[in-house]
Amino acid sequence: MTLMLHEHAILVVDDDQDILSTVAEILEFEGYKVERASNGVEGLRAVERAHPALVLLDMRMPVLDGWGFARTLKERGISLPILVMTAAHDARRWAQEIGAEGYVAKPFNLGDLLNAVERLYRHN
Amino acid sequence: MTAAQLVQYLSWATYVTIFVIVAAKAMRSPRRVNIDIALFFSLPMLIVVFTLLAPPAGSLLSYLVVILLLALPYMLIKLVDDFADVPKWLLYTSEVLLALIVVGTIALGSKQPDWFVTIELFYLIVFLAYGVVAFARQSQRASGITRRRMRSAAAGSIALCLVFVFSGLARAAPQFAGLWSTLSQLSSLASGVSYFLGFTPPEILRRAWQEPELRAFLGRAARLPRLPDTQAILAEMESGAAASLGAPHASVGLWSEARQALSFGVGDEQVDVTPTPLSAVGRAFLNQKPVFSPNAPRDNPAVADALRKYGATALLVAPITAGKRKLGVLTVYAPQAPIFAEDDLALVQLLADQAAVVLESRALIDEATHVRAQEEVTRLKEDFLSAAAHDLRTPLTTLVAQAQLLERRAVRSPEAPADLAGIQKVEKEAQRLKTLVLELLDATRTEQGRLVGTREEVDLTEVAEETCARNGTELHPCEVEAEGPVLGCYDSVRIRQLVENLVENAVKYSPEAGAVRVKVWREKECNCLSVADSGIGIPAEDLSHIFDRFHRGTNVDDKRFMGMGLGLFICKGIVEQHGGRIWVDSVHGRGSTFYVALPVEVGKIDADVT
Repeated sequence: MTLMLHEHAILVVDDDQDILSTVAEILEFEGYKVERASNGVEGLRAVERAHPALVLLDMRMPVLDGWGFARTLKERGISLPILVMTAAHDARRWAQEIGAEGYVAKPFNLGDLLNAVERLYRHN
Repeated sequence: MTAAQLVQYLSWATYVTIFVIVAAKAMRSPRRVNIDIALFFSLPMLIVVFTLLAPPAGSLLSYLVVILLLALPYMLIKLVDDFADVPKWLLYTSEVLLALIVVGTIALGSKQPDWFVTIELFYLIVFLAYGVVAFARQSQRASGITRRRMRSAAAGSIALCLVFVFSGLARAAPQFAGLWSTLSQLSSLASGVSYFLGFTPPEILRRAWQEPELRAFLGRAARLPRLPDTQAILAEMESGAAASLGAPHASVGLWSEARQALSFGVGDEQVDVTPTPLSAVGRAFLNQKPVFSPNAPRDNPAVADALRKYGATALLVAPITAGKRKLGVLTVYAPQAPIFAEDDLALVQLLADQAAVVLESRALIDEATHVRAQEEVTRLKEDFLSAAAHDLRTPLTTLVAQAQLLERRAVRSPEAPADLAGIQKVEKEAQRLKTLVLELLDATRTEQGRLVGTREEVDLTEVAEETCARNGTELHPCEVEAEGPVLGCYDSVRIRQLVENLVENAVKYSPEAGAVRVKVWREKECNCLSVADSGIGIPAEDLSHIFDRFHRGTNVDDKRFMGMGLGLFICKGIVEQHGGRIWVDSVHGRGSTFYVALPVEVGKIDADVT
């Protein structure tokens, strides 16, 4: 049983169930509390419910994609650091488009993901 | 000067003018036909000169005038013989008759009896009429300027005929002598003018007569560059040039830099002709000037047989040139040397110039098409790479992250039991990757046509039953309908992959419960298989693209149904590379049925099985 070091949750939004569960598992193993969502709509609900400290966001998703998710957050006046994780080769541009704080390109190194998460989580 | 005299002087002036022009031309280009034309017109010219000298009746000069008159039909027939074969017996008959009449005329002196004059007139009128018919016939066969010149020549001969008819009438009905004389004078003038237009048309008239043919050719030429291929364009240009000149055949020889030869399409074959100064074609191409060869088989015995096959004697060749680039030659074949070769050659050159424009336009279109095709290939490659990269990255992400997590766990707590779920996930993602990589490799093989390997006897019924057993579930029972083994000689691995793919798709795209029905049967000349489901179906607009690479139905939610859009592309490759056909019937929202028809024997299939 891993010790819960962090009080605030990290929200992981990804439509690929395997990636979602693996990323969640990694974060939990590192002691973070994790909220999971399979698309933008579920993500928004989770934000309302769990007030996460950080969002790990996939961009291309059904129902509501990463852009829609980020736009809705802004419209609702919610300011949350976002870490974009996407398989697209233009991950950097997409991250800039939605004003995200950082990005990791799939397939990512576990170390890189955790470094980025830690930096943004602390910062917040 | 009376009106009658004016008419007479005018017709004399016309005949003398014609003679001067044709004589000059015969000296410039002493072809047989030009010489014969000059000889023919020398007769009226001499008659005019001798008449002006006003010889007393019975003198040598007065006999000469009569003899020259009598020689007119004979010379006309000689001229006709230059462009249309006159039967030998007719030529001899005219020679003998001419000789007899001349002898008779001299012997009988000025007191010719009526019967002799009748024979004289009969001879004159009949042989001139023969000339009229020959010119008229030739004008029917020819086209453009030649046709019009032939008609004028025919009209001139008719008028000349009438001159003698009226002379005869003057003798038969002397009470109307004034009328006959006037009509005779007018006919003479008419024949002079018609011959002038026919044999020495002024440049402005030539242009006007050439225009309709050129315009017709241009009308056709404008559409030519858009024809599917250069061969089709050449065929059209050749038939257009032949039609414009009224020749039976024309051909375009294109210069091939690589082979250093002019390449002519003869039937389905390409015949290379190396341009040498010996042949008319070679001279036209090398000197970049139009060439007329009245007897090409004699000029260049090397190609005599080939020319005879076309029934071609005379050749009209013009170079096809764009700027300084020699593109080739336009050659028009004629069974006999045309009487008005210079006009025809000028028209061939005009057509060749148009051909150059057409060929240049075509080259530009080809170049643009080539560039577009290159761009399309590049775009497809990029699409392929980016789609492949995306699809490969997703399982790879889980695989790498999960493996690294396992490592972290093992390092941090080595005593903890193995994370079986984590290991299974790694394996599952690795399998997913393997499938994707194989699919990509198969897609590449499909494009290269290297999908099908060793063939052996395959029982389609057995393959269907095995596949159904593997893929059927409680939600999606898979049923096979077959009346027994259906055997064929196929690549068994690929056929299994094909059926597996179709059955997998049937299950995958039937989110609600529903049976998958596989039917295997034997038809006339093919082994058939169908896979039917009651799933989401294919929208009508996707049906024509459903077998394309990376195409996925517009109703397919990418996230709900995994896939790269390569499965059916590969299926089509497997079927087609076996020499078979695959197609689909589908109603959007109601399900799809895929049909496969494979040849029973290798490479044989009835294309109309649907």
